[in-house]
Amino acid sequence: MKKGMTIIAGAFFLAAFMVLSVQSQEDMAEVDPSVFMNPQRPAAVFKHDEHNETAGIEECNECHHVYEDGKLLEYESSEDMRCGDCHGLEAEGNMPSLVKAFHGNCKGCHEKQKGGPIMCGECHVR
Amino acid sequence: MHDVYQFVSGPLAWVAFLLFIGGSLYRIIAMLAEVKEKEPFIFTYMSLKYSLRSILHWITPFATYNWRRNPVLTVVTFVFHICLFACPIFLLAHVTLWDEAWDIRWWTLPDAVADVMTVIVIACCLFFLIRRVTQREVKFVTYPSDYVILGIVAAPFLTGFLAYHQWFTYPVFMILHVLAGEVMLAAIPFTRLSHMLFSPFTRAYMGSEFGVIRKSKDY
Ligand code: HEC
Ligand code: HEC
Ligand code: HEC
Ligand code: HEC
Ligand code: HEM
Repeated sequence: MKKGMTIIAGAFFLAAFMVLSVQSQEDMAEVDPSVFMNPQRPAAVFKHDEHNETAGIEECNECHHVYEDGKLLEYESSEDMRCGDCHGLEAEGNMPSLVKAFHGNCKGCHEKQKGGPIMCGECHVR
Repeated sequence: MHDVYQFVSGPLAWVAFLLFIGGSLYRIIAMLAEVKEKEPFIFTYMSLKYSLRSILHWITPFATYNWRRNPVLTVVTFVFHICLFACPIFLLAHVTLWDEAWDIRWWTLPDAVADVMTVIVIACCLFFLIRRVTQREVKFVTYPSDYVILGIVAAPFLTGFLAYHQWFTYPVFMILHVLAGEVMLAAIPFTRLSHMLFSPFTRAYMGSEFGVIRKSKDY
């Protein structure tokens, strides 16, 4: 009986641990910079879901895009991957380096839409 | 705020760099033209060997009599000029902007090192200021414009430091920093900061005159 309880309790905690530790975009508050060798700046603030709601971005693949032979695939998306899974620290052909992918994506849209931060310290908040 | 930032870091940056590069070329060409008209014989004894000999001695700490005379001032002067140039040229933030605008990039300093160099430049400016105010022989040859020039040089470092650390109101100091940097760039050809352009020529001329004509050293 006691053993059964231990197993059930153990399973419960394990399940809770797994649920909590699975990364989800809902509670993402900043972009993790640890893929960079030796990050120089504080992590950029980015409350994933809240941001996309206030900015009125409908499609996930506005950011999580997929290219094939240099063509953007309109109906595909890559939210199961990190930007750094494709973008290396150095540029490769048409694919911008990881920093420029982030800056081009984030700052590029903010400049175009005249909304959202464009100065270093507004994203890399200390 | 964003419109202001985009204006100062866009069109105004173009104006500043064009004034800096165009103004520098103009001043150098005008100077050479004047020498050619008034004292063309100078060109007859210009010597590469003595020019380089003079320049190399004067850019080496303590290699000239003048540099040995006041060691503290010499050390401050050298440290100041090294940080003044290396810090903004190899600053990660500046190279990031060049990379995004022109797709060119080069080696960068770690931010922590650049931050220390910034403090060094500001401290050196304070040293020069205090020296001008307190030393009688320096005060005697100081014009008000000397203080203005010191301020023009210190301003991009002071505001850059405040922006980097995001003290007080960040966007305001970020914009002031870009403005201060542009004022400094544009001022180089048209103020005494032009010694940056002319000092190699001055040394080349002095070196050649002393080496070829007077058969002696200018250091
Ligand atoms: C404005 C750009 C943008 C949009 C739009 C966007 N995302 Fe993301 N998302 C990101 C960035 C940036 C990351 C972090 C990627 C990284 O770390 O490499 C991310 C990460 C994720 C992650 C991983 C979370 C984690 O913590 O690792 C998931 C899942 C995700 N997004 C799902 C979605 C879904 C679903 C949508 C559409 C409803 C969406 N995203 C729309 C930018 C965006
Ligand atoms: C499945 C691989 C892959 C993933 C994941 C990926 N990218 Fe890309 N990305 C590419 C390729 C390939 C290109 C080059 C497109 C071309 O050929 O012009 C590119 C181009 C870009 C560009 C420049 C062109 C444009 O579309 O504006 C930006 C900016 C960019 N990516 C940002 C991001 C960001 C931010 C993320 C993460 C949210 C991300 N990418 C995730 C493959 C990927
Ligand atoms: C497709 C356009 C678009 C992209 C891509 C985008 N943003 Fe935004 N962002 C906006 C808009 C529009 C706003 C202004 C929203 C408002 O307040 O009205 C904004 C606002 C913000 C804000 C201000 C606070 C907030 O959440 O409203 C931050 C911080 C921000 N963006 C960070 C980022 C980062 C980091 C990225 C890249 C990972 C990014 N953004 C990509 C459009 C975009
Ligand atoms: C719109 C938001 C935004 C702005 C503005 C922005 N960045 Fe970033 N930056 C990011 C994101 C997102 C990343 C990805 C990783 C992270 O969270 O730092 C990044 C990554 C970086 C990295 C690589 C990681 C590191 O810390 O070494 C550097 C360096 C960097 N940015 C410097 C700058 C500088 C300098 C400026 C101003 C000229 C700037 N950024 C402006 C969003 C931004
Ligand atoms: C077109 C002109 C210029 C632009 C657009 C510009 C832009 C920037 C930016 C974006 C930063 C980073 C601020 C941050 O981290 O939030 C910065 C920092 C800095 N800049 Fe500039 N800059 C310009 C000219 C100059 C000049 C001419 C100098 C000096 C000669 C200079 C010296 C510095 C210094 C010292 C820092 C701070 C470094 C630190 O404390 O770590 N800048 N600049």
